[in-house]
Amino acid sequence: MKIPLQIPGEAQHLEALSRLGVLEIGALQRAIFNSANFSSIATDAKGVIQIFNVGAERMLGYKATDVLNKITPADISDPQELIVRAQELSLEAGTLIAPGFDALVFKASRTIEDIYELTYIRKDGSRFPAIVSVTALRDEREQIIGYLLIGTDNSARKRAEAALLEAGALQRAIYNSAYFSCIATDERGVIQLFNVGAEQMFGYTAADVVNKITPAALHDPQEVIARANALSVEFDTPIAPGFEALVFKATRGIADIYELTKVRKDGSRFPAIVSVTALRDERDRIIGYLLIGTDNSARKQAEDDICKLNADLERRVHERTAALNSANHELEAFSYSVSHDLRAPLRGIDGYVRMLQEDCADRLDAEGNRMLGVVSSEAKRMGQLIDDLLAFSRLGRQGMENTAIDMTALAHAVFMTQILAAPPLNEGAEPRLDLKPLPPAQGDHAMLRQVFANLFSNAVKFTRHQLNPVIEVGGTAGVDATTYYVKDNGVGFDQKFDHKLFGVFQRLHSEEEFEGTGVGLALVQRVIHRHGGKVWAEGKVGEGATFHFTLPIRKEPDA
Amino acid sequence: MTKLSEIEVLLVEDSPRDAEMTLRSLRKRNLANHVVHVKDGQEALDWLFGAGAYVGRDPTCHPKLVLLDLKLPKVDGIEVLRAIRADERTRLMPVVVMTSSREQQDVIETYKLGVNSYVVKPVDFDGFSAAVAELGHYWLLVNHEPK
Repeated sequence: MKIPLQIPGEAQHLEALSRLGVLEIGALQRAIFNSANFSSIATDAKGVIQIFNVGAERMLGYKATDVLNKITPADISDPQELIVRAQELSLEAGTLIAPGFDALVFKASRTIEDIYELTYIRKDGSRFPAIVSVTALRDEREQIIGYLLIGTDNSARKRAEAALLEAGALQRAIYNSAYFSCIATDERGVIQLFNVGAEQMFGYTAADVVNKITPAALHDPQEVIARANALSVEFDTPIAPGFEALVFKATRGIADIYELTKVRKDGSRFPAIVSVTALRDERDRIIGYLLIGTDNSARKQAEDDICKLNADLERRVHERTAALNSANHELEAFSYSVSHDLRAPLRGIDGYVRMLQEDCADRLDAEGNRMLGVVSSEAKRMGQLIDDLLAFSRLGRQGMENTAIDMTALAHAVFMTQILAAPPLNEGAEPRLDLKPLPPAQGDHAMLRQVFANLFSNAVKFTRHQLNPVIEVGGTAGVDATTYYVKDNGVGFDQKFDHKLFGVFQRLHSEEEFEGTGVGLALVQRVIHRHGGKVWAEGKVGEGATFHFTLPIRKEPDA
Repeated sequence: MTKLSEIEVLLVEDSPRDAEMTLRSLRKRNLANHVVHVKDGQEALDWLFGAGAYVGRDPTCHPKLVLLDLKLPKVDGIEVLRAIRADERTRLMPVVVMTSSREQQDVIETYKLGVNSYVVKPVDFDGFSAAVAELGHYWLLVNHEPK
């Protein structure tokens, strides 16, 4: 049957094929010839191209007219590869094969099925890998009249292969890593593979263990028994304390990573983290196990170090706390004894002076009575010093409450009850309180009351000679802290002594000018410091003093 | 010599100075006629329970007031107070602690033991004298105690 010449442009092919004596062409063959995905190149017996299909044109960039009757397929192949192929074939066949077209078709000419891979060179000089299948075309007398070379572009597969190779490289790298032990076993647990990392970790060579032992022999037997027992309970089935205990979860398809102590060839031990995977064939039967492990010594060591450090820290905290407690107890005992024993003789001094005055006043002259008065007042002053000092000492020891405090109300109340109600100190006018609205505070109510009381009584004391004594109180809220101030228009002080203001028993005035024990401001400072705040003073002689203090703003923890 | 049954105040005080000042203050108010002064805690217990030097004294015969110092030789004031409150015969006896200590631990401890009053001895003699006189007046003349 003759194929009608339907497809334009095929006339040439058909003519050529008919010249080659291949006249009966099936639809399939025609489809192949016309496929853009296969290059179909037919040559005469000498290799000169006779047919160059659409696919060949597309792949190689030549037009059929560029090549027909002009060149052989060897001319579009990589010459180096041709040389190599020719040499290989020469060796194989024991006859010299030229590195040209012969090298491409030699096997086909011997009726050996031949599919090979080689690099084709496009018209523009670029290259691509091709898989080429070569068939000899024969006439009815089996005489070779030409060759058919059907090729496919192999670039995509090449790329995939390259990727696979890379993946393989990764696997190989992991497998050869000295930091991972890779141990593969058969389904019974006998070691089949023991990588470099395993050799380094365990001190065994692969030859020591392959086909000889199971990984269970590399473990602490007690731990394996414990693990077997635990698993038996967990899965409610008896599990032998050997290899089974190591891979049981993996056999059930459960991801299993555990930490066990490994035993080296020399008997020494190290902690390892091991991940176990079952190896399965295509029918999902277990054919072995892969155990990948890392030496956990460094992390263990770090953990142990941290534990030790923590324990040490805890111990030191305990020691310090005990030392502090004992110091506190001593301090309490001390102040208790001061409170008791130091006061009694003072009372004796004062008491006997008074008795002397009562009983023998008529036998003493005015000077004698004045001196007795001094003894008496000195005794009283010492009593006051002791009381203040004890209050100051107690302040450092007593617990602190932390409540919200309306500072405006507190300042007002202190002024009313503790300043105005007290016996008048001032010679003339009563001091006036200029109280601005104060931001609220957080802290110990009783202690902050003491702060206002001490600052106010100071202010009253040092404004006593003023005609218009004014105590101004104000405050501003900042970001982290609120600042308050108590300002007076009294005698003030020289700023160069401000560092002495807050010291215990430090005074800037003589007892005759202004009485006092020098504890009041020290107490203020102690309270403010215990609240985490600061206190400072500004002043000038004759121009009043301002005492500032801050109280931190406590951030409420996020709800 | 004062008869034991007429004793109105038992003064437990180790300091002779304080004792003298106390007695002087009571005397001014004519309250010192029936006072017994013991000088340590042990002597106080002996007197209270009729032991030692005070064998034969009737423990059920109460003074109207025990003025008790806390810091005492041998047996301290807290122990004396504990013993008074622990014994059925002396349990209801009015006891006023009079001490130099203003330590909270002492105040709380003695209140827990049922002290009738806690007075801090003022350092100045006027204050001291006034406090003793007021105490004596109140407990001996104003207060009505269980018989």
